[in-house]
Amino acid sequence: MSLLAPIICDNGTGFSKVGYAGNSDPSFVFPTAIATRGPAAQPSRTGPALPSKPGHLASKRGVEDLDFFIGDEALANAQTPGYGINYPIRHGQIDNWDYMERYWEQTIFKYLRAEPEDHYFLLTEPPLNPPENREQTAEIFFESFNIKGLYIAVQAVLALAASWSSNRVTDRTLTGTVIDSGDGVTHVIPCAEGYVIGSAIKHIPIAGRDITQFVLNLMRERGEMVNVPPEDHLKVASKVKEQYSYVCQDIVKEFRKYDQEPYKYFARYEGEHTVTGRKYEIDVGYERFLAPEIFFNPEIFSSDFLTPLPEIVDGVIQQSPIDVRRGLYKNIVLSGGSTMFQHFGNRLKRDLKQIVDRRLDASVVASGSHLRSSGVEVDVISHKRQRYAVWFGGSLLASLPEFYSSCHTKAQYDEIGPSICRRYQIFGSAT
Amino acid sequence: MILLEPHNYIIQTTLAEKAIKPSSLDVQFVDFDGVRFHLSTPDRKTALLLSMNIRCWDELVRYGVNDILKREYGSLLRPAPEGEYNVSLEIDLEQLPPEGEERDAFFKSLAMLKRNALAAPFELGFQEQKRLEAAGSGQGELMALHYRDEEVIYVQASSDRVTVIFSTMFREETDRVFGKVFLQEFVDARRLPTIQAAPQVLYTTREAPLEIRHLPGLHDTEDVGYVTFVLFPRHFANPLVANSTITHIQLFRDYLHYHIKCSKAYMHSRMRHRVSEFQKVLNRAKTEQAVVDRKTASGRTMR
Repeated sequence: MSLLAPIICDNGTGFSKVGYAGNSDPSFVFPTAIATRGPAAQPSRTGPALPSKPGHLASKRGVEDLDFFIGDEALANAQTPGYGINYPIRHGQIDNWDYMERYWEQTIFKYLRAEPEDHYFLLTEPPLNPPENREQTAEIFFESFNIKGLYIAVQAVLALAASWSSNRVTDRTLTGTVIDSGDGVTHVIPCAEGYVIGSAIKHIPIAGRDITQFVLNLMRERGEMVNVPPEDHLKVASKVKEQYSYVCQDIVKEFRKYDQEPYKYFARYEGEHTVTGRKYEIDVGYERFLAPEIFFNPEIFSSDFLTPLPEIVDGVIQQSPIDVRRGLYKNIVLSGGSTMFQHFGNRLKRDLKQIVDRRLDASVVASGSHLRSSGVEVDVISHKRQRYAVWFGGSLLASLPEFYSSCHTKAQYDEIGPSICRRYQIFGSAT
Repeated sequence: MILLEPHNYIIQTTLAEKAIKPSSLDVQFVDFDGVRFHLSTPDRKTALLLSMNIRCWDELVRYGVNDILKREYGSLLRPAPEGEYNVSLEIDLEQLPPEGEERDAFFKSLAMLKRNALAAPFELGFQEQKRLEAAGSGQGELMALHYRDEEVIYVQASSDRVTVIFSTMFREETDRVFGKVFLQEFVDARRLPTIQAAPQVLYTTREAPLEIRHLPGLHDTEDVGYVTFVLFPRHFANPLVANSTITHIQLFRDYLHYHIKCSKAYMHSRMRHRVSEFQKVLNRAKTEQAVVDRKTASGRTMR
């Protein structure tokens, strides 16, 4: 076994988190974007360029394939004439394998500076990823990069593993409900003993981007944004969201508090114009508690999606097999940047508990019996590593000694082929 | 472009981050050729400790790595390195050079720790060559650097040149073929008028070059290749050129493997394209299925 740490690669729709196992934070977090020569549009019908004439390769000038940037450099070069920007991952799944292969290539060599032949890799995949995609991924990693071993884990399971770092978790179980809210979309995923219950997964079209937009709308309506240069609007809104927002327990009370003592509760945001350096100040008010409120009362933001998050979570658990429901209620784990709001977990727990208790009471009344249920334990776990929970879970699992025996090795791949990645082994949980 | 930088990004970005906002830290990471780094704050938040473990440290010490590191890092060097690491640097975030270019240069020099350590045999070789040139003839010591499990760099100085030999090992059949084509191209590419000043490159498979043929324990299998670079005095005449020569030649193996991987990606994207074209042809060749109208007893059409 090598001393070199396994590499954890969590490629999301918006951002990729990569780094070495054993650390608490990813070494690099950059956009999953690649800037290549030529327009950003779909690849042309003629396909990639081929060298025109035979002869020795050094005389040929077909190096467009090698001319590309990834991550932050890609965004910086997006405006350069001749380059177009592409996002190889759509809705969590890899869309363009050509770009993705080159993206990985540069991630490994240029940023991580690792020789892939010496390392084990842990990759992540979204729930309900088709097995064909795993096979393709395995093919690239084993055949292009000749890596030592590969483990493809489901993101939700890694998020559950990450919650073991919280001191409220006593048994390391892989049963629980994961609420994964990133920039684009929010998923509610039930997991039973490390396996995702695919039929019960729900998606919510409200996530980080929508919250930012909502904050921006509120501030525009109040007229705060007149001092802010238009190109900075979105940036300011997302800063306000990240720095000042929290979840309140009761909106009406909160509104009253703000109206009675505005000086105490209104915050001031100070910004600077990115180009001219002119300073500006804005007041941050109700959006502090209204921003995350769109998870709990979506009607204040959108008119087509109206179900609050606690109801969705309840629905997901109710759709899962009856024998795991207790475990799912008991271990609700948050993951992703948009669950980082203060008191988010408490509010979710309270609302969910209300729904559950109401149902228990109703069933008592309906059955007319005098037997009462002992109650269902509802617990929402928030922890310090929530933002990069998936990556952290990967780092945690890959530093366990069992990791190496659960990996698919190069030798196994050569023996059986890409189909070995259809099967994967759960490890690390104490139960 | 697919250029590899000599410095380590993680060191550079982490230090720059911590310079602005110090916080406790404990990270371990890796560089090419099995070099391991450990960056931590053992005592307080502003005192960083950067340790490096390198496989061929004992050999490097013999070639004078300690002097080079002392020259580059001076007082930063900790007398006793951290356990299981070979060298440790102490960085006090409260005594950084002023912000701006100077500080960036400082971080960059720290990020070049691996490069500077590996420079030892090359610098020694260059000095040796100067000495031999003055003496008129003779051969320097053959310096071997076992920088990977199965791969070795040999550096030898003579009176008019320094020879650097890389032994390479391809574990994978496909890689070997790509590598072969690549290394043969090196020889061809040198004929282009623009790169006449480049060092001479020789490539042999299986058969070791004469300089190292007498060594025991050389592998004699199909997957071993030897690349020889012949550096003439013009490649290390002034310190600036000499430094960039060392920087580039060290990364040779990583470049080679990076390029092989890139070539594979190049092939794969064309293969994928071709397959999808063929699939289109196949789809066109499908016969259209005759639509049979199925009706129920009551005369309604079934769909």
